[in-house]
Amino acid sequence: MMLQGGSTQLLCLTASSGVPLFTRGASKQLPFSVIGSLNGVHMFGGGQGVSLSSCETEGGGKVVWRVFQDSVMLIAVTGGGQGGAGSSKEEEVRLQRLLENVWNCMVLVLGQDELANVRNVERLKRDLRSCISLIDQLLEERQEGILGNLTHCADSLLPPNPSLLQQAVDGFAQSADSEFGCLMVHGRIAAATEKWWRLAPQEVVLLSALMRSLSASGSASCDYPVFLPQGSPTVAHRLLRFQLLPGADVCVLCGPTPSLHRAESGLVVRFWTPLVETLRDCLAVGERCLPGSVSLRPAVLALLLINREARRSVSCVRCPTHHPPGDPPLPSKARCWELMKLFYIFSTTRYFTQEESVCLTPEERAQGGNTEDFILGFSHQPLQCYLVTEECKSFGLQTPQHQLFLLTPLSVPTFALRTVATQTLSDVVTATGF
Amino acid sequence: MAQVPPPGSVVVADWHRCKDSKEYFSKILHKKRRRNFGLLESPVMPPNVAVDTVHYKIFISGKTGVGKTTLAARLAGLNIPNMHYETTGIETTVVYWPVKLRESGRVLFFRLQLWDCGENALRRFDHLLPSCKEQVDAVLFLFSFTDRTSFDDLSNQIAKWTGTCASRVVKLVVGTKFDLFMHCDVAERDVRDFQETWGLPVLRMGGEVSDGLGDVSPLLNCLAENLWYQDCVAAGSSSYHSQQETGTLY
Repeated sequence: MMLQGGSTQLLCLTASSGVPLFTRGASKQLPFSVIGSLNGVHMFGGGQGVSLSSCETEGGGKVVWRVFQDSVMLIAVTGGGQGGAGSSKEEEVRLQRLLENVWNCMVLVLGQDELANVRNVERLKRDLRSCISLIDQLLEERQEGILGNLTHCADSLLPPNPSLLQQAVDGFAQSADSEFGCLMVHGRIAAATEKWWRLAPQEVVLLSALMRSLSASGSASCDYPVFLPQGSPTVAHRLLRFQLLPGADVCVLCGPTPSLHRAESGLVVRFWTPLVETLRDCLAVGERCLPGSVSLRPAVLALLLINREARRSVSCVRCPTHHPPGDPPLPSKARCWELMKLFYIFSTTRYFTQEESVCLTPEERAQGGNTEDFILGFSHQPLQCYLVTEECKSFGLQTPQHQLFLLTPLSVPTFALRTVATQTLSDVVTATGF
Repeated sequence: MAQVPPPGSVVVADWHRCKDSKEYFSKILHKKRRRNFGLLESPVMPPNVAVDTVHYKIFISGKTGVGKTTLAARLAGLNIPNMHYETTGIETTVVYWPVKLRESGRVLFFRLQLWDCGENALRRFDHLLPSCKEQVDAVLFLFSFTDRTSFDDLSNQIAKWTGTCASRVVKLVVGTKFDLFMHCDVAERDVRDFQETWGLPVLRMGGEVSDGLGDVSPLLNCLAENLWYQDCVAAGSSSYHSQQETGTLY
């Protein structure tokens, strides 16, 4: 349905004059006249005091507009989506999220100043080429099993020995004159300093995406200037990344010191050599993302667990070892990830809406309680939801601390879904403290 | 101008083809492909065949799009990116390369760390170039055979590396995309003239990437040779100087 990456096209234009800056996505690009019309209709709306945000075509395609800092306009276009009206809201959410991520990505690489005050269009076009690699990654959603772009929660891996790793990350960051440090294993965060978790969720997700693309290149270390879109959009930090072992990378956000050479030769070896075996144990956790101390019930086909306060998530898809031949076939691993994303969007747009619409700080949320209810007029918040389709059964539940989304094979009785979900939540949280 | 040793005079050329190199090269390979080590690991020989590792830092310089990132990936045996994406910061790649010294027959592992940074990024952030230059041992000046301006720009780039410190830095010129002779913009004669003028060796890279070590060994051996020679010269001259300065030592 939605995840035909090739058919989403992204257009970037200057907001003031509609000059195209770049186009990414579908192999067959939209003709310039169409791009001009899309811009024109938005401008027409603006002239009439209307802000055009999205529209649908008869064929099921969708167009979404958004202007950032009154300077840059991003338009996402998808063609030929299947499904009726039910799917259109999810599609819109996905596309709006995409535009937000792309904008954050542009700020990350170029800084807000250059984007908000466009003086030289040709220079901006040339500079935007530096963002293309990350933007392509966002569009194509290359790595399955990474949901952060959608959930705005950092994809995490829970290691078997968290305290050792935590100590190492804290110490390493401190020695590098930084409060922001993070250890990534298999593209997911295994440990991070407290201040890293306090970065805005979109920033954490974007930095993870940047780390993944740097890690994929196989390079040993990097020194990348980054502008934090929420925390520091005009002043650059340096992202220093070091590949400890293939699959395990550590990074710190620094100011002008230390130099890459000094950090690598002086600090990396000193802090991390004693932990080689610990890192290997962590790597062994693999795509499951959960330590061996957590045993999942056989009924669990896929799970996505979100810690709402920390904005972190753990997710995995399992291939059940024994599947009775008489039972209906299980969806493939790739399809399970797709279904999980669909179910997440479905649940959060219909039932667990509190998450997305109201952006409260953790402190506000903690003391919110009664005041919040009062403001919302004591609306009842759904706690659980489920969905049965031809491919699988899904169950979603929300507690003040967590959200859990579960996929099970069709053979699991519907009345048992709630138990499976509550038990799984309890199992994981008790074993790992997530 | 720095002295350049004749090729094959310091290290054994194409040593990877000799039988006695197998046990060393096997340490940098994993299932026929080059092994990616990470910073915490390195090739280890059995205790009875202990081998020293020598570390060098090499900076890759060149205009955008000439193939700096591709060259680094190629030398390390990593996957070559199939699309050109600008490098927006410094990326370093580590290459381990076993070398046999001709004179002594001694085997060394050269740990070559290649520093690569996009031209645009160097321009926008002024802390990047000094970071690249810090304690550098060699510079590879890249141009592309299909891009004349990148060849003409070489003198510009080399000019940035002058001075007493820079004279101890090994300099090599590498022409990339040599296989694309249909689009070739730089004639052999131009390359020869350049070599005569600057006295710098010019190497060529290009073509399909093979699984074997044959396409990277000429460049890596040349680099290792020049680095080792430079170190010997520096060690020789510093002992000469320290003898000269005996009178002024405290």
